[in-house]
Amino acid sequence: MNEYPVMVFKDVVKVYPLPSGDVTALDGINFKVERGEFISIMGPSGSGKSTLLNLMGCLDTPTSGDIYISGTRTGDMSDKELTDLRRDRIGFIFQYFNLFPLLNIIENVTFPMMLKSQKAVDPEKGRSALRAVQLDDSLFTHTPMEVSGGQQQRVAVARALINDPDILLCDEPTGNLDSKTGAGIMELMSELNRKGTTIIMVTHDPNIADYSRRTIRIADGRIVE
Amino acid sequence: MIFWEIAKRNLRIHLLRSTLAMLGIVIGVVAIASMGILGNTLVLSVSDSLHTVGDSVIVSPYTGGGSGFRQGGGVGSTSLKITDQQYQQIKRAVAPNIAIPVLQTSDIMKLGVGSDTIVAPIYGLNPDDVPNLMKLKAGSYSRSDSGILVGSTFATDHNVNVGSRISIGTDGDKGTLRVTGIIEERGISFDISTDSAVVVTQNWFDTTYNRIDYDTVVVKVDQGGDSAVVKTTIEKQMNKRDKVVSVMDSKATLATIFTAFGAITTFVTAIGGISMIVAGVSIFNIMMMSVTERIKEIGIMRSIGTQKREVMSMFMFEAAILGVVGSVIGGVLSIIAGYAISALLLNTTKYLFVWSSAIPIIEGVCFGIVISLACGVYPAWKAANLIPIEAMRHE
Repeated sequence: MNEYPVMVFKDVVKVYPLPSGDVTALDGINFKVERGEFISIMGPSGSGKSTLLNLMGCLDTPTSGDIYISGTRTGDMSDKELTDLRRDRIGFIFQYFNLFPLLNIIENVTFPMMLKSQKAVDPEKGRSALRAVQLDDSLFTHTPMEVSGGQQQRVAVARALINDPDILLCDEPTGNLDSKTGAGIMELMSELNRKGTTIIMVTHDPNIADYSRRTIRIADGRIVE
Repeated sequence: MIFWEIAKRNLRIHLLRSTLAMLGIVIGVVAIASMGILGNTLVLSVSDSLHTVGDSVIVSPYTGGGSGFRQGGGVGSTSLKITDQQYQQIKRAVAPNIAIPVLQTSDIMKLGVGSDTIVAPIYGLNPDDVPNLMKLKAGSYSRSDSGILVGSTFATDHNVNVGSRISIGTDGDKGTLRVTGIIEERGISFDISTDSAVVVTQNWFDTTYNRIDYDTVVVKVDQGGDSAVVKTTIEKQMNKRDKVVSVMDSKATLATIFTAFGAITTFVTAIGGISMIVAGVSIFNIMMMSVTERIKEIGIMRSIGTQKREVMSMFMFEAAILGVVGSVIGGVLSIIAGYAISALLLNTTKYLFVWSSAIPIIEGVCFGIVISLACGVYPAWKAANLIPIEAMRHE
């Protein structure tokens, strides 16, 4: 087990240079995420939540400051190294599921595994991951468009977890689901967290944020609580 | 490999546009390969018609001016001749190569009682030289002045066999000769064209037409000899002061002809190549469309750990599938097209199934694949270098 915190932000600043003038999206962000935490990030629209999530997911780089993922500083990493980091240590869950329409459910789930191993993987591993998110076996060979939104999000959760990442990043995971289905997904996430998965979730819904054990509130690019 | 599978499925989902792009490549390959096959068939057909027994150098009087030529006689003879003295000079200059003096005219002939009269070329050759210039398909060479050899086309057209008699001159006033042999078909030739002609002895020719000078001298260059050197030697010897002879090197002339055919083949193939370029533009367009449609998907792939080279390979696989499948289909169809063009334009397909006809097909197929891959590079590179967060926001 890695002894470092899963994620550390040190004085992180993100400025977007625009023709009309620089826009500071994040201004001096400091926080630490320990292994096994379930954190929700909340804030009004335009507060910097998405920018923060992009930085946490190594999809973007800070203007200044340092970000550490499991003790590894991301600032000096090449594009290839950051891509490997996303593949091996970070799981993503998106609001709109973002499954690949050309692949069936099992292929979607095992896709990150194939990226990691660079060879065909045992579909049984995909089936196990799908059973772990309580998806019915009869749906495994369907395409994403043939299953419901809730089922698609379960597939997305299974895909995010297939490489056993250090951290699960969720962007409004229930934002595109009805309340009942959303509650089901959140129960699933809570269950995963109880089993040790570290989760950071961006949401604007306080009811969804209640599932987490810590909330970071952000406004005007700064952590306010 | 998952990216190969994704590429296949994407092409299958967009079957119509994939087929149209492939069709462009098919047309391009067929255009290039069939034009190449046509050119090759043309060259093979002409080289089969042009007869050369080894290399030969043909010496004829210079018709653009000069002096030292006597007026010749006989029906249809040219006025400028090579004298016996000049022939001896040539013979000495080219030794040990054989210099064969050739007399030529044309005259009226009658092939039997009641038959029509015809006019045909007559060659007068020393009987010793005849085997060096031609082979017989029937009968034997004649040393007697009463014997005559006939060309294969002449024999076929006029139903002449060994033993037939041919009367020469108006009402046969120049004599009646017995056919001793039928000459093997020689096709179009640089030295003498015997297929529709007859060959008599030099002695009979001299006596009959009162000729002592020659129309041409054919120098048969020994195996291992250089016809260009022989040509230069003759020119140096004979054209010291004035140009009195024209010297033609059959090998060089043949090379010039084939160079011209090569240029024609390249030109028509290049025209075919234009359709391939158009097909390439179509592939490029479709690949760009595919990238544009899948920007968000590419962003998601990159966000969950797909490397740039893997995204690039996915699109290159699409271009490769279009190129390989289209080119192979085009290759097969070009055999059919080549067959049809050869049959229609040249009335023969016997040159189609030879190795040199396969080369344009292989070239067409390879060109199709290379064009497809080349036109896939930029779209694939563009896809691979999309910024993940921007790509994910794309709607």
